[in-house]
Formats: sequence, C-alpha cells, structure tokens
Amino acid sequence: MNPVIQSNESRPESNEKSELRSRKRAKFLFRWNEYGMGYLFMLPWIIGFLVFMAFPICWSLYLTFNKVRFTGEGFKYEWIGLQNYRDALLKDNEYGVQIIAFFQQMILILPIIIIFALLVAILLNQNFPGRFIYRAIFFLPVIFSTGQVLTELFQQGAGDVPFISQYGIDTFVEENFSSSLAEPIISLLSMIIIILWSSGVQILIFIAGFQTVSRTIYEAVRIDGASPWESFWKITLPSIVPFIALNLLYTTVDLFTSPINPVMEQIRKHMFNVSTGYGYASALAWFYFLLIIVIIALMLWFLNSSNRKRRYTA
Amino acid sequence: MKAELTPNKRSVRSFLEGRKAQKIKMLVLGQHMNDGWLAKIFIYYLLSIVAFLYLQPFFYMITTMLKDLTDLLDPTVKWIPRSIDWSNLERAFKGLKYPESLLNTTTIALFGSLIQVLVCGMTGYALARLKFPGKSIFFGLVFLTFLIPPQIIIIPLYVIFSKLGWLNTPFVFLIPALFGQGLKSALFIIIFRQFFRSLPKALEEAALIDGATVIRMFFRIIMPLSLPACLVVFLFSFVWYWNEFYLTSFFLINDFTPLSIRLGSLETVIYGPNPVAEAKALNPVTEGTKMAGAFLIVFPPLLLYMVAQRWFVEGIERTGVVD
Repeated sequence: MNPVIQSNESRPESNEKSELRSRKRAKFLFRWNEYGMGYLFMLPWIIGFLVFMAFPICWSLYLTFNKVRFTGEGFKYEWIGLQNYRDALLKDNEYGVQIIAFFQQMILILPIIIIFALLVAILLNQNFPGRFIYRAIFFLPVIFSTGQVLTELFQQGAGDVPFISQYGIDTFVEENFSSSLAEPIISLLSMIIIILWSSGVQILIFIAGFQTVSRTIYEAVRIDGASPWESFWKITLPSIVPFIALNLLYTTVDLFTSPINPVMEQIRKHMFNVSTGYGYASALAWFYFLLIIVIIALMLWFLNSSNRKRRYTA
Repeated sequence: MKAELTPNKRSVRSFLEGRKAQKIKMLVLGQHMNDGWLAKIFIYYLLSIVAFLYLQPFFYMITTMLKDLTDLLDPTVKWIPRSIDWSNLERAFKGLKYPESLLNTTTIALFGSLIQVLVCGMTGYALARLKFPGKSIFFGLVFLTFLIPPQIIIIPLYVIFSKLGWLNTPFVFLIPALFGQGLKSALFIIIFRQFFRSLPKALEEAALIDGATVIRMFFRIIMPLSLPACLVVFLFSFVWYWNEFYLTSFFLINDFTPLSIRLGSLETVIYGPNPVAEAKALNPVTEGTKMAGAFLIVFPPLLLYMVAQRWFVEGIERTGVVD
C-alpha cells in the first residue's frame, strides 16, 4: 500500500483523480480476490446446505401446512393452513404430555450429567499414575453410546444399577415424593448408566477447560494459604463457568436429538400413520424444533454474558 | 507407673515432631491434602467404582454372549456363565452376514469420515481465517444445522435420494459428506474452526509473502499442522458413521445393508418372527445371540480406539473443542 501512496504524491495533481480510481479498482479487485478464496473454500458446504438442508427444510415447512397423502404417483397435498399445529397442541393427547415429560426428564438429566462429568473430570485431572487408562475408560462409551447397540442394551435393562433396588432407593423415592415427581425419577434411575454414558464428551470438555486455568494462579493462592477445597470454589469453578455453559448447550442438543427420546418416537410413529400423515409429523417436528431454538437461544445468551463477565473480571 | 509414662510420652512427642514423622505425614497426607497417598487411594477407589458401573453394560454384553441356553434361562447365573459357549457368536456371525456387512459398514465409515475431515477442514478454515462478506451469517447457519432434528428433513431427503437413484447405495452418506452435510458435520466444522483460530497467524503470513496460494498453503501447511484435530474429527466421525442407525434405517434397507440394520433384524433372521416382539418383550433365548451381534459390531471400533486412544484424548485436549 505504501509505495502507491508515495508515488501518488509525486505525480501532478491533474492525474490524481484517475489515479485514485485505478487504486480503488485495484483495491476492489484485490479484496474480491481474497473474498473469492473464502467463497471457494465455503462452496462445497454452501451447495450442500442448499440441496441437502435448506431445500428439504423449506419443503417440510410447506408440508406442515398441508394434509399429505402418499399415493402411488407421489405426494398429494391439501392446504389446511395451521390445522396441523392446532391439532398437535390442542387435540393430540399424547404429544403435549410427552413434551412435558421430556422437559421434566431433561431438567433432571442435565444437572446429573453436568455434575457427574465435572466430578469425574476433577478426579481425572489429578496427577496420579495410570490416569491414561482411566481416561480411556471414561471415554469408551462414546464408541457405543450411539445407535442400535445402545438401544439393544437399553431394552435388555443393562443400564440398571444393582444397588438401587438393593438399598431400596426406589421405594424411598416413592415414599418421599409425590407420584408425579417420583415416576420420572424412578425411570431415570433405571437407566442411570445409559445417562452417565452420554457424558464422555462433557468430561473431555471439562478436562480441556481445566487446562485453560494457569498454574501460577494456583501457586499464588497456595502461598497465600488457601486449601485445595477453597481454591476449587474460588478459582477453578468461576473460571470454568463458560465450559459449564458449553456443556449445558452440548448436552441439551444431544438430548434433543437422541434416539431414545420419546418425542422423537412419537414423530416417527406419525410419519407412517395413514390417518395423520407426514404433514402432521412434520408439524410435530417443527414445533419441537422451535422449542429447541428458544432454549438454545437462552443458553447462548447465558454463555455470552458469562464470557463477558469473565473478561471483565480478568 | 507415672515415671515410666512420661519419658514414653516425651519420646512419642519428640518422634512426632521429628523429621521421620514429618516425612511419613508428607507421604500419606501430602503437602496440600490432595497429593498424598491418602488422596491417591481415595481417587483410585472412587474412579474404580465409577468405572465399574460405567463398564457394566459392556460386561453384561460379553457374559451374556458367552452363556448357553440353560444359563440364559437360569436367573441365578448372573455374571459368570457355568460353561463358555461360542455358538451364540457363531450364530450372530452368520445371521449378520458379517464379512459382507462389515465391508459395507467399513466403506461408509472410512470414506465418509475421510471426506468429512477434508471438507469440514476446508469450511472450518474459511470460517476461521479467510475474509469474505457474510461470514458470521454462514457460521450461524452452520450452527443452526447442528440443531435441526433429522426428522424434519428425512422424508424430503428420501424423495431426493430416490429420484437420484441413490437409495441402497453408499452415496446417500458419501455425497452429502462431500458437500459438508454429513453426520454432525456442523460439529466438526466448529471443532476445526476453533483449532485453526488457535494456530499462530504468522505462519500463514510468511507463506503468503513467499508466494504460496491459499489453497497450497492450506494443504501443505495448515492441514499437516492440524493432525490432532484431523484425528479427533476422523475418529468421532468414523464411530458415528459406524453406529448410525436412524438414517440408515430409511436409506439402506436392501442390498447394501450395514451392520446396524442387520443387528436390528438379527432376531427375526435367526429365530423367525417373534410373536411378542411388538411389545418389545425380552426373549431370553435370543438374548445371547443379540448380545453377540452387538459385540461383533462394537469390536472393530473398539480395536481402533485402543490403538488411537492416546492421541485421541491428547488431541481433544489440544484442539480446544472448548473455547
């Protein structure tokens, strides 16, 4: 840039305008060259997004306003406006109940996963010989915590922990909570291992999060006489708040799209139901999706504000 | 008596204040309570319990697989079978048509994840370092695709794929992966973006000044430098493609069937249709075979993980999936 400016100054003034224009053009070309590279790298994704994402999404959104019948020649549409949504929310006596049940479950599962992952991550972050083996074990479930194998194990009740019935924890829960609350808790206990299995990624996120806190802070605090207990509450926990938020986000997305989620099954059931049809199933999926978006937006806001706070205090 | 005790007491006190006792105390309790023996034993104890609970379904899978019929029906036999029986494994091997479906699954998982590493790397790089208008919008869209439940788009996709004649071929997975819409591509793009942002900028500037094009720089400098990120993405992607069931159950039902689909129909293939299968009732007779099938599916990625786990865990820590 610099030589151009210098040469510009040495030239007579009459030439300045055309010089300026060509300089602008050069700058424009240079910039678009750079932009072109960016778009080139993005190109596969953009095509894929349009063909395999945007188009199907718009199509299914269109379907939600229709009664869709699958005949021999293809789809038959019948425009019914918001009727599908109205049916889903007001008429369907399963959908609403299941969404509420799912949220109840999620509110219970989220803290279980986060706290469990945090505890395990703290333990694994300690310095002791053989921690690589333990790290490997705790990450193992990621390999088979998805798909058909999980469903198979889940059906066999392999996710049960023996001591829950041995120590009478389930009867304790039944006696001490109201029945509406006891039921989800017991169903959670029956698949507690499967739930804990989905915390592999979260553990790793926390371990990576601990690495971001610099050792000098701990040393300084120790010299000032803080116990490890205090330094955990005063240093570690506040500095990993963004990671907790991130884990919340990841876990929520994971739970929302997990195959053992009852709402997903409901949608799948309606997809092949002749009387309700795919339009209705799409409406169910869309409403569910909008709910996710709202919750995720709230979480992002939390993530953002915690990040800002952290920067401010640092 | 009293006269005898006092020197004893004194010696105890002097021992406690002595150097040896301090050393022992250091060993057992550590300098800060969390680096002595006591803490270590506690950590091992806790971790072992949790690890056992964690691995319990896996143990269940293996023991059930090795039980013969009498053991399966006998509720008193829980963990250790009375005799080891390999017939379950054999039956599952045949029922899954293991060699053929293993090849199918491997094709999808291997090529799918290799393509994903490349394409998501490119997209992630563009989002991390290249300048172009609308970048933040694109990033938002990438994030949005992560949240979309597959149920929304599955039927339109089915129609598209059937029009193109891709159903029951590996293309249903490979082509979307090629265009950055594979399984959880959005997550991988985000991982790559975070990783590229942590690389020093000076490297790229130096390469550009030396006259390298962006494409050349990406393949010659950036990708080789991001091996840990590539490994993490490859392994995640491999395992997720390997286990994928939902999309597969729509797109690959005939001809080109991977392992996961075969496992779903294993019971009917071997034992004929189960009259109570609709109620998802447990049939103890078929349980052993099903677990053997599950084991056969899990085994190859398990091997891969055992080989790669060290780099894997390290890689994740270094990629900053976080940040």
